[in-house]
Amino acid sequence: MDIGYLDIVVAPLRSLRIFLCARCENLTLGKQKIQMSISFFLVVFFVPISLLAQTIKPENPIQFKIKNAGITVDGTIPGWMVEVDFDPKKLDQSSIRGSANSASIQTGIQLRDKHLQGREYFHIQKYPEIHLQSKSFKANGKNAFIGIFELQVRDVKKEVQIPFTVIQIGKQRNYKGEFVIDRLDFGMGEKSLVLSDEVRVYSEF
Amino acid sequence: MKIQEWVSKLPLWLYACLVLPLLAFGLSKQTAFYFSVFEIPRIWTDQAMKDWELPNSNPEFSAQPVSEEFYYNLPERVIFKTYPVYHPDHEPEGYWEWLHEQEAEIVFDESKLVTERDWVKAGELLFDYPIDTLGAVINTQHVRNSDFYTASGMPLTPEGVMPFAQWVVAGKGKVYLGNLSCAMCHTRVMEDGSLLKGAQGNWPGDKAFAFAIESDGISERGVQGITNILFGSPFAEGDPHGKLLDSGRQSITEAYRAVPEGAFGRQGTSILYPPQAPNLIGVKDRKYLDHGGLGQHRNIEDMMRYIAMNQALDFLNFYGEYNSLGLTKERLYNGQPIFFPGTHDRHSEAQLYAIAKYVYSLTPPENPNKPSGLSERGRIIFAEQGCVTCHTPPLFTNNKLRPADGFEIPEEHYDKFDIFDISIGTDNGYTMKTRRGTGYYKVPSLLGLWYRGPFLHDASLAKLEDLFDPARLRDDYVPTAFKPHDVKTKAVKGHEFGVELNDMDRKALIAYLLTL
Repeated sequence: MDIGYLDIVVAPLRSLRIFLCARCENLTLGKQKIQMSISFFLVVFFVPISLLAQTIKPENPIQFKIKNAGITVDGTIPGWMVEVDFDPKKLDQSSIRGSANSASIQTGIQLRDKHLQGREYFHIQKYPEIHLQSKSFKANGKNAFIGIFELQVRDVKKEVQIPFTVIQIGKQRNYKGEFVIDRLDFGMGEKSLVLSDEVRVYSEF
Repeated sequence: MKIQEWVSKLPLWLYACLVLPLLAFGLSKQTAFYFSVFEIPRIWTDQAMKDWELPNSNPEFSAQPVSEEFYYNLPERVIFKTYPVYHPDHEPEGYWEWLHEQEAEIVFDESKLVTERDWVKAGELLFDYPIDTLGAVINTQHVRNSDFYTASGMPLTPEGVMPFAQWVVAGKGKVYLGNLSCAMCHTRVMEDGSLLKGAQGNWPGDKAFAFAIESDGISERGVQGITNILFGSPFAEGDPHGKLLDSGRQSITEAYRAVPEGAFGRQGTSILYPPQAPNLIGVKDRKYLDHGGLGQHRNIEDMMRYIAMNQALDFLNFYGEYNSLGLTKERLYNGQPIFFPGTHDRHSEAQLYAIAKYVYSLTPPENPNKPSGLSERGRIIFAEQGCVTCHTPPLFTNNKLRPADGFEIPEEHYDKFDIFDISIGTDNGYTMKTRRGTGYYKVPSLLGLWYRGPFLHDASLAKLEDLFDPARLRDDYVPTAFKPHDVKTKAVKGHEFGVELNDMDRKALIAYLLTL
């Protein structure tokens, strides 16, 4: 039953399938699509994507995985927003900026969520948001890029390298990336014999 | 001759080298000690005692221990040889008379302790040694009366020995019943009759005391007086112990009788919120001592402090201006001895060191519950349910303090102590309404669950199965172990993890827990 890191390896493939289905639903203008703001429609249909930053409230939560006592714990942060101004042909003028509400963290166990919100981890009273701001991009193959971002968790800012893909489907783009952080670098908890330092983070919008 | 010649040619510096160790170590009576590597610390300094304990949940009433000067003016304890106490029906013929023929024998001699093993062995002897012969809990008349054993449900060894007290022979004909050894609360008579020292004890001390109250015909005023000395905490919100005293002799006696074996209302705690007797096996790895984490445990000195304090010197503490013996600070420090059990003498530092060494050496017996397919399933449930967050392997505790309901963590505590700042909603009486209360409960280790019980800090549940029984959360539940004397039913709230598991998963989880 110890799915461990094998699951981490196959997870992106699984999420790709989810992504494709989600896009199909969007194309049929389903319920969730209707709920999107009018301004977003204006941006999508009347303004070329590459010219104006879009503020997106993604449907999919940020996902993360961390190994704890031999099993992999899956968690999500559903409350997040991203502002995208990305042109694959003008990488030096592109930017991606995101923020997440750390109080929205969910791991399936309420006490654990509360603990993660506490001062030993996210300390939401003092640091209610996680911030991510791009610094530079470079191409990494077809539809693939590597971004250097500044990630701020609590009061710690650190550069992280995030490989991601951008796939155009109709008039929409799908961004998908994953990266690994060391939670101790951000003052999240303490060294533990059972809880991994490494947290693998997945985001898609 | 040749040797003499050879020796005479040796250079002077070599002679000097040979003599150096003697200069360094000296030639006193303590020579043997120098060959051991132990340096015994001085533990009761004003500086060290100032912040060793956590503050009371009501910080104005945090304990003020006696001064360094007072402490070191107390005479050191002399440790006499002790002898087992038998149930009257099992006492070997002529044993009582034989005891009275024995001469006193002093059995602790620091100068003879050289190796680690010596210290541990001496520590075991001290662990078993009663510090009181004044009848602090029970006396000679009680233990020589068969009714005492029946009324208290006293566990005995197969030989009929009652292992929680000892006969102290202080001279020919001077045979006293000794109370208040470490072993009194931390010895368990196992189902097969064997003794497990250091475990959660099963001394039914409060039931024994209830017997003493009744058999000795102690007056209402007397019962109120001693109960106040033990548990009085008028500064606690609602003064529950004051109300208990007001409820009268019969009710107080019932309160003592309600405390099950495996829990004990030691001084400063409560018979209304009795603490589970702690398991000392593995205590070396705990960061806090007492259920409320009252004593920090950063090193062996802290353990020695804890032993010194808790073998009755805390009766001399002031809480604000309150002292449960009725002392004033003028009386305490006027130079006259205070004749109350455990307060007129003290362990020497070497004695404390030996006890600490012994306690640190305790190891669990072989666990009869071997890992199985079921327990393996339980191991995964344990991780999936997030139990590991608090009960983190390998110690099966994260060694942190968590606040009880109603306690607001002072900001400065976050830097001073190890805090897991979430309450899990268990009964807050012990830590909010007693002299030892800190506002916290420490996260207990799950190691050795198979030989322990009753469970939870207030010993309210007899078995692990009860912990995962959702019925315990209802007001019509009858607690399977400690149930307050004045109620018929009571919900055992808090720590609600695992109560929603299905039967199979619950069995698997319990099977795993019993392998720890």
